[in-house]
Amino acid sequence: MNILVFIKQVADTEARILIKSDNRSLEIENKFNLNFFDEFAVEEAIRLKAKVKDSKVTVCTYGGKKAIEALRTAIAMGADQAYLIDNTDLDTEDPLITAKILAGFAKKEGFDLILCGRQAIDDENGNIGVMVSEFLNIPHVSAITKLDVVDEKKITVENDVEGGKEIKEIILPALLTTQKGINEPRVPLITGVMKAMKANIPVVEPTSLGFAKDMIDKNASKIKVISYETPKGRPPVKIIEGETPDEKVKKLIQLLREEAKVL
Amino acid sequence: MSKDILVFIECKDGSIRKASFELLSKGKELTEKLSSILYAVVLGSDIKDLTEEVRPFTDKVLYMDVEVLKDYRWDTYTNALEYLIKKYNPYLVFGASTITGKDLFPRLAARLDAPAISDAVGIEIQDGEIKVKKPIYGGKIISWVTTQNTPLSIITFRPNSFSIEKRQSAGELVEEKIDLQVDARINIIKADKGESKKVDLQEADFIICGGRGMKGPENFSLLEDIAEVLGGRVGASRAVVDSKWRDYEDQVGKSGKTVSPKLYIGCGVSGALHHTMGMDTSKVIVAINKDPNALIFQYADYGIVDDLFNILPALKKGLESSKQEA
Repeated sequence: MNILVFIKQVADTEARILIKSDNRSLEIENKFNLNFFDEFAVEEAIRLKAKVKDSKVTVCTYGGKKAIEALRTAIAMGADQAYLIDNTDLDTEDPLITAKILAGFAKKEGFDLILCGRQAIDDENGNIGVMVSEFLNIPHVSAITKLDVVDEKKITVENDVEGGKEIKEIILPALLTTQKGINEPRVPLITGVMKAMKANIPVVEPTSLGFAKDMIDKNASKIKVISYETPKGRPPVKIIEGETPDEKVKKLIQLLREEAKVL
Repeated sequence: MSKDILVFIECKDGSIRKASFELLSKGKELTEKLSSILYAVVLGSDIKDLTEEVRPFTDKVLYMDVEVLKDYRWDTYTNALEYLIKKYNPYLVFGASTITGKDLFPRLAARLDAPAISDAVGIEIQDGEIKVKKPIYGGKIISWVTTQNTPLSIITFRPNSFSIEKRQSAGELVEEKIDLQVDARINIIKADKGESKKVDLQEADFIICGGRGMKGPENFSLLEDIAEVLGGRVGASRAVVDSKWRDYEDQVGKSGKTVSPKLYIGCGVSGALHHTMGMDTSKVIVAINKDPNALIFQYADYGIVDDLFNILPALKKGLESSKQEA
């Protein structure tokens, strides 16, 4: 089985993020990780490979040169091959463009199954995976929590739906986005890390996938950032004093009713 | 170019979701300013009652009432919406950023080659140009974005982003029909949807959330009782979910759900960044924690420093009598 995994390198949750003086760009502290939800996708791909004979796991990202680090993490976990599609000087805001490029890569590379995280934790869009499936005209299932192989051409998955779960049978090729709970992503072994350090990660130019620069640069983008701002902070907390729990609660309820007006 | 807005109405357990009424209310406010038409789209089977509920909020209710649309599937719903959008030609499509919305709208956007802005919390229109407000990096940054090079934009909004205002319009009902086939490549073999009448965590006006300070799963009944008094939901921190005290669907935070209720009460929640990123857009935040240095107090409007096992029973009683008075 030919398994493709699309990943993204994202700022660490703890990374400091500052708005630059133009109010249109961000300065991100140098702490980056493989996206939380993509770890589940890489892990699931590696587990599938162990179950299905003659399988190959290829990892790919559309990102800057720095994103090679996240690709190396995936190789350290057990992926066979990684590719960076270089987005330097190209648009990074419009998910349609990213999805078209990844779909273009998938077509060129060939695949039976595509996995990716259900969303990135930086822009929190959650668009790319599902958009890629539409561009490839293949079925998708979002937020899967279980994956079983029936045969070479068929899988079953369990996924989150409104109010519960569904079990579906899918004819391959297909795209699945992974949700927390599907597995426990492994911590790479030192041998894996060594292998990843040495791995050759080819850099692919989007133009080689058939995209002219003016189709995928900032002018082609359908989404434009107007400005960034920091959220308005809350006023300092009012600590409610009182002799007894009943007294504190009474004061709290009064404030919630009369001051905050939420009761 | 059209200035009409189309809202996709989401139904759950045979009724219309609160988030959909919020979108209609915002949509009506905008179309009144733009002197344009607000469409509501209701898809499903046996939905006459639901279309009636939507009428007062909109100019036109477009509906398809067929068996094949009984349950949400992206294949049939994408096809139905694609047809309606091409026929009625709105310039904005609104949906809710729910499990269904996150599954449907990227597919639809790609199909129509329309830009998608997801999980937004606000929108303004000035001289026809849209300005969409969207938190990124777990709410550390607010971005204002717009769209360009396109006649159509698709925007999904976080539930609880807008207030609900009923209008006095009597929207015209328009039945639409097309041939819809399910995609044979996907076969649903089992649907396990608990008949829970509980309000959805993301839509709840009131959330009481338990952290590790709850000491064990058995103590969450204290929170359930209070949630019931207020008609809200119980949430949980990651530590609680990882310890299997509560289900993942209850998790509030970066890797769980992002919520913005009117009132959030954190009980024994330390306030790790991971958690606060998922709740700091709540209107009012109350923290109950015996540790006066707990991080959560930095995010709260009101705080009680005390043992939550003393406070919660008193809170339940207090809220009950407050409710009776009201």
